[in-house]
Amino acid sequence: MIGIKDLKKSYGRHEALKGISFSIKEGEFYGLLGPNGAGKTTAISIMSSILKPDSGEVLINGNNIYSNPGETKKIIGVVPQEIALYNELSANENLMFWGGMYSVPERELKDRKNELLDLFGLTDRKNDKVANYSGGMKRRINIAAALLHRPRVLFMDEPTVGIDPQSRNLIFEVTEKLHHDGMTIIYTTHYMEEAERLCNRIGIIDKGQIIAEGTLEELKKNSPAKETIVVTFNNLDDQVAQRLFSSRKNSKRSGNTIYFYTSDLKKDLPPVITQCQEAGAEINQIEFQKVNLETIFLSLTGKQLRD
Amino acid sequence: MIKLALKDLKLFFKDKRSVLVTFAIPIALITLFAFAFGGAGKSGGSSKIKMQLSDLDSTTASYETTKIFDSLKSILVLVTPLEQALENIKKGKQSCVLIIHKGFSDSLSSGKGLPLELQYDEAKEIEVGLLQQSLISTVASLPFSIGDPKTSMANRFNNMVKDAPPGLQKDIQNSSDGLFDLLSEGFAQDSSVPQKTQKNIASDFLGGDIKMTKLIAAGDDNKVGLVQAVAGTAVMMLLFSVVGIGMGLLDEKQEGTLKRLLYTPMNPISILFGKMIAANIISIFQLLIMFLFANLVFGLDIFSHLGGLLIMILATSFACSAFGVLLASFARSRQQVQGLSTLIILVMSAIGGSMMPIFFMPAFMQKLAIMSVNYWSIQGFFDIFWRSLSFTDSTFLFRVLVLMLIGLTLNTLAVVMFKKNILNLN
Repeated sequence: MIGIKDLKKSYGRHEALKGISFSIKEGEFYGLLGPNGAGKTTAISIMSSILKPDSGEVLINGNNIYSNPGETKKIIGVVPQEIALYNELSANENLMFWGGMYSVPERELKDRKNELLDLFGLTDRKNDKVANYSGGMKRRINIAAALLHRPRVLFMDEPTVGIDPQSRNLIFEVTEKLHHDGMTIIYTTHYMEEAERLCNRIGIIDKGQIIAEGTLEELKKNSPAKETIVVTFNNLDDQVAQRLFSSRKNSKRSGNTIYFYTSDLKKDLPPVITQCQEAGAEINQIEFQKVNLETIFLSLTGKQLRD
Repeated sequence: MIKLALKDLKLFFKDKRSVLVTFAIPIALITLFAFAFGGAGKSGGSSKIKMQLSDLDSTTASYETTKIFDSLKSILVLVTPLEQALENIKKGKQSCVLIIHKGFSDSLSSGKGLPLELQYDEAKEIEVGLLQQSLISTVASLPFSIGDPKTSMANRFNNMVKDAPPGLQKDIQNSSDGLFDLLSEGFAQDSSVPQKTQKNIASDFLGGDIKMTKLIAAGDDNKVGLVQAVAGTAVMMLLFSVVGIGMGLLDEKQEGTLKRLLYTPMNPISILFGKMIAANIISIFQLLIMFLFANLVFGLDIFSHLGGLLIMILATSFACSAFGVLLASFARSRQQVQGLSTLIILVMSAIGGSMMPIFFMPAFMQKLAIMSVNYWSIQGFFDIFWRSLSFTDSTFLFRVLVLMLIGLTLNTLAVVMFKKNILNLN
């Protein structure tokens, strides 16, 4: 359904994308997981044809998006990261306007609009100005506005940033339903919980490069991290940290914390503690983590997703 | 407290718009008004008043008179056939014509009132008033310049007393001969009295009347001041409002709706065209409402000139809305547009005649006026309401054409700038 080949994009000297490639099958829920500034939005902007790459190719449904962008845009929907709505118009008016931009026939549009207002739980407030909505309600209308023309492919760029848990859950449920109904979804996020819950396949992106890709199980299986011993120290200095790293290669530091990756927690925990004491580090706290996207990302990049 | 003040000063100077509004705009306006009211420039800023002259007498005396007028510092004489001169006034190209009627030469030598007539456009009454002041003293001194002053004065005096009894006429003539000698010979060569003063006294005695005829005069409804006020203000305010509409483009960019529009299958340029259409529609409504208001409250007769009014409203709206959209496409932020638009609109309005009639201004500024939308539009409204030109008249249609060309050029530039500045998401 979607093929991305060696996509490169720079803003001045800053390389936002350094040649990313991946493909997405029809009906797949693909997550692009990475921290802020990793290149997720740039990738979405290029895939939705509003930004030209310096090089590389994007094929959607077999068509190069730049050879016939008008036709390609008809089958894609984009939920932008920012709330891109007219605040002085009501939800009703906004949806009618955005549906009109996709040339949805008026009668069909009215039905679809009502269906989406109902789906997102906003029928009662449909005539209120968007300006008077809560952040979560705005996010919901922001998504609904991308669905009016029944797109086959939906790009969702961090659709749950800064919203309440109730709205987040509703968005998850709606997104899962859309996927269940056969929609191909590309979902960018820096929340590992979202990627873990929603996505069939995940591409981990950092500094403009896809550093790992696969299903959650594949990522876990291929990750150097199986389980993690998280040791937090009081005032960890560089020399001490260096001594610890020299004794345990499979570890990463983040501030006063060191993450020791292990495939056998019971076996490795006593020697880790001994080595810390021998190195002269004062332990403040020890935690154990099972492998997840956060630990995978940490093991790959040495930093946390929200850094 | 000092730190707070310093912080405010720092913020103030970082805000380019505030700096522009505080310093650049007043400086620009002061400069414009100084030129307009004659307080600036090497020669005091005053410019020559253009006066058409039609010589129907075609004698040596009328030719010499023309030369005298042409030598005046304050007047630029344009010798023009009468028919052409009157047409020029009717179409607003010139403000007046001085007609030297047949019999001028005879009247000059016989001391009768000179058959001089100044026909003018009442809309330019102030300009013509200044001209009249310059002409009267010159006309009065014509006998000194090209005739025999003693004969002229005597003949004139005789004409004045011709209805008196014959005996009295002779007594008066005998006693006034000495006076005429005195006046014409320069106060018996009294060198303490300057020659100019002697001439002035004689001129006052001779008088310098010019018949004043309004070629275009105020009708019952359309007073010149009202047309100036409505047209001038309407165009200036329209420019401000279309800039506001144009700024919607920048708001859309800032709020993300522009990007969202780009996700849709529509051609990106349609976004700009949509703004242009909206700006045009609002402009048309704004002008219609302003003229309707002038009709209802001040009695401006718009219904007798509906065809021309609608055409001029359409042309003005097209040009002004293109200006607003271009400015928004040109600038990178709302603040930049606000500062830039205030400066440009005030300058255009000042030189284009929205703030004051353009004949107040020196010649070079009147030439600059044609660069502004205001000028063409205001002159177009004057064509309709003041000069009562038909909407098929070539002068009126030329102004419409200029406004349309301005609109077309600005819209084309707006498309280029929109692609470069607004659509560029890099």
